[in-house]
Amino acid sequence: MSFVSNLLLATVRMAVPLLFIALAELYSERAGMVNIGLEGLAAIGSLVGFLVCFISGSTWLGILCGALAGIAVNMIYAVATVSLCADHTVYGMAMNIFAPALASFIYRVYFGAGSDLSQIELMRGIGLPVLKDIPFLGDLLFNQTPMVYIAFALVAFTVVFFNKTRAGLNYKSVGEHPKAAATLGIDVIRVKYLACVICGALAGIGGAYLTTCYSNTYSEGTVAGRGFIALAAVIFGRWSGGGVLLACLFFGFCDALQIRLQVASFGLPYQFFQMIPYLATIVVLAAIGAKKAGPKASGKPYRREER
Amino acid sequence: MEHISKRFGDFYANRDVDLSVARGEVHTLLGENGAGKSTLMNILIGLYQPTEGKIFLNGKEVRIESPSQAVALGIGMVYQHFMLVEAMTVFENIILGGRNSSGIFIDREARRKEILELSERYGLDVELDKLITEISVGAQQRVEILKALYHGAELLILDEPSAALTDIEVEGLFAIMRKLIGEGKSIIFISHKMREVLHISDRITILRAGQVVTTVDRAETDGQALASMMIGRELSGSHYEKRVSKDRPVVRLDRVDYDKASKHNGLNGVSLEVRQGEIVGIAGVDGNGQTQLAQLVTGVIAPQSGAISFDEKHVAVFDPSAFIESGVAHVPEDRNLQGLIGSMSVADNLVLKSTGTSAFSKWRGLLLKKNAIGDYSRKMAQRYDIRCTSVDQDVRSLSGGNQQKVILARELESDPSLLVAAHPTRGLDIGATRFVHDQMIAARDRGVGILLISADFDEILEMSDRILVIFEGQIMGEFSGENPPIEEISLAMTGR
Repeated sequence: MSFVSNLLLATVRMAVPLLFIALAELYSERAGMVNIGLEGLAAIGSLVGFLVCFISGSTWLGILCGALAGIAVNMIYAVATVSLCADHTVYGMAMNIFAPALASFIYRVYFGAGSDLSQIELMRGIGLPVLKDIPFLGDLLFNQTPMVYIAFALVAFTVVFFNKTRAGLNYKSVGEHPKAAATLGIDVIRVKYLACVICGALAGIGGAYLTTCYSNTYSEGTVAGRGFIALAAVIFGRWSGGGVLLACLFFGFCDALQIRLQVASFGLPYQFFQMIPYLATIVVLAAIGAKKAGPKASGKPYRREER
Repeated sequence: MEHISKRFGDFYANRDVDLSVARGEVHTLLGENGAGKSTLMNILIGLYQPTEGKIFLNGKEVRIESPSQAVALGIGMVYQHFMLVEAMTVFENIILGGRNSSGIFIDREARRKEILELSERYGLDVELDKLITEISVGAQQRVEILKALYHGAELLILDEPSAALTDIEVEGLFAIMRKLIGEGKSIIFISHKMREVLHISDRITILRAGQVVTTVDRAETDGQALASMMIGRELSGSHYEKRVSKDRPVVRLDRVDYDKASKHNGLNGVSLEVRQGEIVGIAGVDGNGQTQLAQLVTGVIAPQSGAISFDEKHVAVFDPSAFIESGVAHVPEDRNLQGLIGSMSVADNLVLKSTGTSAFSKWRGLLLKKNAIGDYSRKMAQRYDIRCTSVDQDVRSLSGGNQQKVILARELESDPSLLVAAHPTRGLDIGATRFVHDQMIAARDRGVGILLISADFDEILEMSDRILVIFEGQIMGEFSGENPPIEEISLAMTGR
């Protein structure tokens, strides 16, 4: 029983950073912006989150600054792809190379090379009154850090936003058929920039979560491919809020499982277990990748006075 | 709209255009491709800004800087290529962008009621909960019209609305249009289909080369008069001597079909032949199967039924390289996409087709003879008047005319028996056009059979020894190139 409940507890905790990053991509792609630079955005978010928290002692301030850093870096991508109509893949990749290097650079400059691992105090869990006393589920869902609640609330908001609101419908139309949206008076460029702000913020928060709520240190490779797994989660989740939640829980479960199995050992090298989340990603993408059903105009530049 | 001009670089898409549309009328804009109809409408809808000129609405001057402003002013447009989000339902498409409703959430019940009222009033029958991909093209068009009305359109622009419709659907569209003007809406109808124009219009404005020819009442005109105003020229006589070839045919098409259900991208029972030493001109408005015809005769696509023969030999294998070997040369319709490799040099482009010959390489193309290629290219540059700083220059950096000369040099030097030239002078200035024409006539006189496909009617009249008219994938008639009957041909081009 404790194996199962520990596993599920870990699943939730592992799923949350993925969830933030995957929602970042969801908001981006729904406005037609394929942003593969999530890994980079999360990396800068994790560093800034850690650093600000280290200096100020406030995890909340760390997460806020992580979000701002994500936005700032993503604006490079936004200007290049929205205003200058550059290739989304190239700039996304550029951010994946640039941002983690920048993060490591800042870390070394601040702490100096070869210094001991600096640590911060993690964000504390807050149990929700009454709810947390529900047996089993209470610990699992209602005795977590506030960031977990925020992530799940964000999923609910996303589902309502895209399906029930006028603004959400207009937002989606930009990713599907920007010309049609423009003829109906929707400001396509503004929506796309807004998408990049949301994407940068959420990916930055996802990264900051890793250093302020999950592990209490920063190291190179903190993000560990979660940006790419989140990308897969959006496809696996069929570009919908609920789907992305399930996909992230699935990948989170794989991650949690591999840690449990590592502990349990069985005499196999631990690297084999570490492969599980990535293998799951490949298997899932191979299985469902063929039927692409994402936003129609995703990844295509939008030019206004095109003849 | 008064004195509207729109310039793209040095090119005037519209020049000093006046257009006035009264309440409750169907006003037709008639003109060939590239006459400036779409540009004018894009100005009215706020997608383009006019270089000069003013727009008045109900007597007041307005500036329309964006489509949303046009919508707010009550101008709605139904584009030729529908602006519908395929992954959304009909209902969602109609309310998209809606500013005439407030609140964060979508009040489905209220919106539905409004839409259903409108649809009943104008007879616009649509299924609100279907996805766009699930409904027919005619229904999609009704959605577009309904969408425009829902957003408060008083003036409706219909850009070639009948292009994608079946005949029955066109009848339905006309019924809707009559109902709309009956309710006091105004319609600008864009078309080049004579029958429809005569059927539905109240007044007709003819555009040619970006300028207004005239505006006439429907009652005071007929098809012939409109066609000649649209094509717009008196017989000027050709520079070139026409000839009637009695030699053997180099290519013959016998009842060739390709995707014949498609009016714009197919061929339907096409039979034609091109003899040695003659130019056969294919006249027609763009997008009536010309692209497919050129691709068939050059082996890019295979016919679905019917037969093609070269020099009286039946062709069984459809493959461009086999066609090239049997002596087919091709000046393709898009020189940058199909004719040239932009990032390669002038010299390389000149020998692209003949790198395997002993003149340019050792061991069948294994090792290129760079010097021989350079010498040959300089000779060609001189003979074909290709103006470049060096033959090693990227072909992309040449002007359109010089690019076309590179293609022409390559194709004609391959000593073809058939030359397929698709829009060979599109976008070229007068000098380059003249040069291309001279070279084609010289090739004809050497005995090359030439199939000239062009949407430029002048070019067809100027060059052709025989003229065939293509409309919706079918050959509408054959005319002599000597003293061609212009009005008959232009009527045939519009499907009569």
